[in-house]
Amino acid sequence: MKRASLRPVLAIVVAAVVAGAIITGLLPGYWTYLATAVLISAVALQGIGLVAGRTGMIALCQMSFAGVGAWTVGFLNVGGAPGGLAVWIVIGGLAAVPFGVAIGLPALRLRGINLAIVTLGFATAFDAILATITFPGQTRFISVARPAMFDGDGGYFVFALLFYVALAVALEFLARTRLGAIWLAVRHSERAAAAHGISIPRAKLSAFAISAFIAGISGGLLAGYLGTLVADNFSMMQSLVLFAVSTMTGAQFAEGALIGGILAVAFPEILRRLDLGQDIGNLLFAIGATQALSAGEAMSETLRRKVRGFRGARPAAPHPGVAIAPPAPPPRHQGVALATRELGVRYGTVVALHGVDLTVPEGAVVGLIGPNGAGKSTLIDAVAGFLHAYSGSVELGGRAVDGQPAHVRARNGVRRTWQTTRIAPELTVGDYLRLAGGDLPEEQVGAILSWIDCPHPDTPVASVDAGTRRLLDVAGVVAARPKVVLLDEPAAGQSYDETLKLGRRIAEIPNLFGCAVLLVEHDMDLVRAACSEITVLDFGRVIAAGPPAVVLEDPRVRKAYLGIEEGSAAA
Amino acid sequence: MTRLVVSGLRVDRAHLPVVRDVSLAVESGRISVLLGANGAGKTTLLEGLSGVIPVAGGTIEIDGHDIHRARPGARVAAGLAHVEQGRTVFRQLTTDENLRAGACAASDVAAAYELFPELLPRRDVPAGLLSGGEQQMLVIARALAGRPKILLIDEMSAGLAPTIVRRLMATVRRLADQGLAVVLVEQFAVLALGVGDRAYVLRRGEIVYDGACAALRDAPDMLHQLYLGGSGDGPA
Amino acid sequence: MNALLTSVVAGLTGGGAYGLLGVCAVFTYRLVAVVNFTAAAIGTTGTFVLVMLYEAGAPLWLAMACGLVAGTVAGIAIGLVMTAWFAESSASTKAAVTVALLVGIVAIGLRLTGGQHPHHFPDLFPGSAMRLAGVELTFSSLLTIGLGVVFTVLAETFLTRTRMGLHLRALSERPMAAELIGVPVRRLAVLVWGITGAVTTFSLMIIAPQRSPDFASLSLLVVPALAAALIGLFRSFWITLVGGIMIGVVEGTMSVFPGLSQYRGAVPFLIILAVLLWLQRGARWDEAR
Repeated sequence: MKRASLRPVLAIVVAAVVAGAIITGLLPGYWTYLATAVLISAVALQGIGLVAGRTGMIALCQMSFAGVGAWTVGFLNVGGAPGGLAVWIVIGGLAAVPFGVAIGLPALRLRGINLAIVTLGFATAFDAILATITFPGQTRFISVARPAMFDGDGGYFVFALLFYVALAVALEFLARTRLGAIWLAVRHSERAAAAHGISIPRAKLSAFAISAFIAGISGGLLAGYLGTLVADNFSMMQSLVLFAVSTMTGAQFAEGALIGGILAVAFPEILRRLDLGQDIGNLLFAIGATQALSAGEAMSETLRRKVRGFRGARPAAPHPGVAIAPPAPPPRHQGVALATRELGVRYGTVVALHGVDLTVPEGAVVGLIGPNGAGKSTLIDAVAGFLHAYSGSVELGGRAVDGQPAHVRARNGVRRTWQTTRIAPELTVGDYLRLAGGDLPEEQVGAILSWIDCPHPDTPVASVDAGTRRLLDVAGVVAARPKVVLLDEPAAGQSYDETLKLGRRIAEIPNLFGCAVLLVEHDMDLVRAACSEITVLDFGRVIAAGPPAVVLEDPRVRKAYLGIEEGSAAA
Repeated sequence: MTRLVVSGLRVDRAHLPVVRDVSLAVESGRISVLLGANGAGKTTLLEGLSGVIPVAGGTIEIDGHDIHRARPGARVAAGLAHVEQGRTVFRQLTTDENLRAGACAASDVAAAYELFPELLPRRDVPAGLLSGGEQQMLVIARALAGRPKILLIDEMSAGLAPTIVRRLMATVRRLADQGLAVVLVEQFAVLALGVGDRAYVLRRGEIVYDGACAALRDAPDMLHQLYLGGSGDGPA
Repeated sequence: MNALLTSVVAGLTGGGAYGLLGVCAVFTYRLVAVVNFTAAAIGTTGTFVLVMLYEAGAPLWLAMACGLVAGTVAGIAIGLVMTAWFAESSASTKAAVTVALLVGIVAIGLRLTGGQHPHHFPDLFPGSAMRLAGVELTFSSLLTIGLGVVFTVLAETFLTRTRMGLHLRALSERPMAAELIGVPVRRLAVLVWGITGAVTTFSLMIIAPQRSPDFASLSLLVVPALAAALIGLFRSFWITLVGGIMIGVVEGTMSVFPGLSQYRGAVPFLIILAVLLWLQRGARWDEAR
């Protein structure tokens, strides 16, 4: 673990100790009591922040998961299970996990909107069930027993604080792992994530399971806080309000969850003291959430951007020395990296590709050119596994990959870039490279970035201009060192000089990284600079293939580009 | 007499300048041909003119009124029609419904069938089932049904057989002769230069040629270089 | 046996309302591409205007008219928020916005209607229409189902026969192409929101007397409505209508069995789950993004 990533963790712990000391030592008991409520809300918000804020799924049954946790704690309490409250709470969290997975499963592979509907449906169903079965001990007024040393208001505050800090630290670490980057990538673009070899269902399910666990913990904490519970504590409306608050404050970050917790407790409290309805607080959350969705930025995100802005004013650290060369490529066989056999694609009645045979030898840079609508992007989609159906076959290193989904093909050796860049802006440049390329050593990240003129690894992607992001796309796919990389118009939007420079870099890819390249590009100067061979598509068929100098002078190619034989239509 | 005057236009796509400092003038009865390789910024230029994407700088004037901030609907009302690339028919609507959706009055639909009699037997067929050529006729006819003064056509010939392209080019010439101002974006240069009056060539978002179509038509080497690059332009 | 039949028939009123609300959800989704979680809350707003006016002594017809107007206005207000700020947003962002708005509407609604304070909901169409095999068919059940059928027919006719319907279909298929041929995109979107606001209000007015009469519970009737829409795949009006009626009937049937009746609220969830699992045969993940 890097020292830089320990800083926020340290900050959380120090802040917690200071706040804990002030609140328990100086404030009157009622305030401590309220502060405990803040922490429990903040824990619940961290759970929804993970699934909604970080992974971008609409989950509307978070309080039902909390209800499962609370019910479990009540059950263990009434039954006099060993271990005491802390253990029961963890068991309660674990009990919520299978529910989370079960709700997430049916909505995994379909439009995200279905998840919103199914979770809201679960929340209603849970309301009905809970109202019927009631909480263990509810009718006999058996209160949940707190551990002796945390029994008072101050004590239970410390107890809740320990849970909050433990979860905040764990989540902060998790956010810095590859899994954390994967969640952000999935939120930003599922297709792009799959192209990096990420299994989308697994990414979503892991988020949902962990989020349900945290929700269950918050329910258990609430059980210990209130002693006895009623179904209303976990009603569907509470889940909806929680979603609004997390959207407003950005609960995917520890500070966002805490701000949300403070607002969720403070608003009703202030309104109560003013003799106004406490429910009006929800109106403010609704407005805040709508505003955040409209701005595309929650409170914690704004905060982080501002803080980053101040830090950004300092001079950027120098690039790592170019002297570190990327390591030698894996041993290369003189074979075929990628081949398509009789590849055919039709969209309804339109035939987009018509029995295309294309070969990319190992160590080669092959250009794929052709007029608009010739089928170039379709070919990339078919090869990378993003089309539902095609005829013929795609072979990677001599092995057919048909039938494999996109993320499996990516792991088996084909990586692609996109015409519009799809990098999650919340990542840093280094995070992205590690997401795309696997666990690269620090100096490798620096070396690859400086090879293609990308900024320092700690630079947030959000502050990188669009042209450089396209270079970062290229850096990402080569960092994974697949058998073949498919580059879809990498030079779009680059200036003339940058284009030629990019062409030289692309020509170096086979030697530096051991990957063959299939380059789709309109800029002929780039094609000439980078490619050893060119294949020309027109109307979904290969009309010419060979060395650039020969192919670009071919009359058939001129005709494809200029429409009609030159001169024949003049009149 | 209608004049579309564009000056200093800049259009960005994903924060990258794709069209930079473009100035051009288009008037009734004339066909202006806009040429350039793929990615040169032709489509983005048209989209900036019609309001599909917001422009980042410069002005667009129709008969002296600046419309560069107006919504697409308001630009339509000002007389601008944009036939997007990719034959954007409403696929689930029939041919006739497509025309009626764009028409001001029933007579406009009738006029459309007069211009493209090929569409009449296909009037009750969902537009998604028409051939590529028929779809191209339909989107042009649909745009004309709104009685525009200026017609922007993007990539009219992409993916169409040469005979259909000639047929469409002839129709566009006739429309211009009847008083329409036409901007024709084409990747296939030769035919377009055959019917056009004035030619603009875009390269990397900037106009690198502005002159008569005939002059460009007579210089095939220049054309070839514009599309396939190489000789004489930078260290290739 | 007779008890079972009676309960099934009793479920028809709810089912008709679910179907009608579901059809409105499909209408909204197909034409303005929003999965609207506020639908029932909009209807509830109008219904409570009716109730409050009625309690204040206004004649029923006037209260009802005012309620319908209020529901329409509420629908348009939501529509204006969506078109002004979220026209370019993704489907899931739009849905998230409506969830947030739902929280806000319920907050205002609970405040203005006195929270759980019980209200008297007038039965708009009391009495039974006829007896069938010894079972009473109420006016309201016939009316909601009839209205569901009428609205479905009207919606389809409106879309296929009128110029505005033509524009709406063009708009739903290619919004930009529609705008480029002069279709008044924003005005039409607001119209859709107004129509669905009025229709949801009417269906809630009919179903409200049979439900727990507080603002929050009524607003959450959006769940069975969306379940019905999901059965129709957010595409088919008829399948949605039938699906909604089916949900109501299953709920009604369950109420006969003492052990099951408390779990009626879980029915929409189970149906959603079943539909989603069925849909996943061979489907792939969300590749649109």
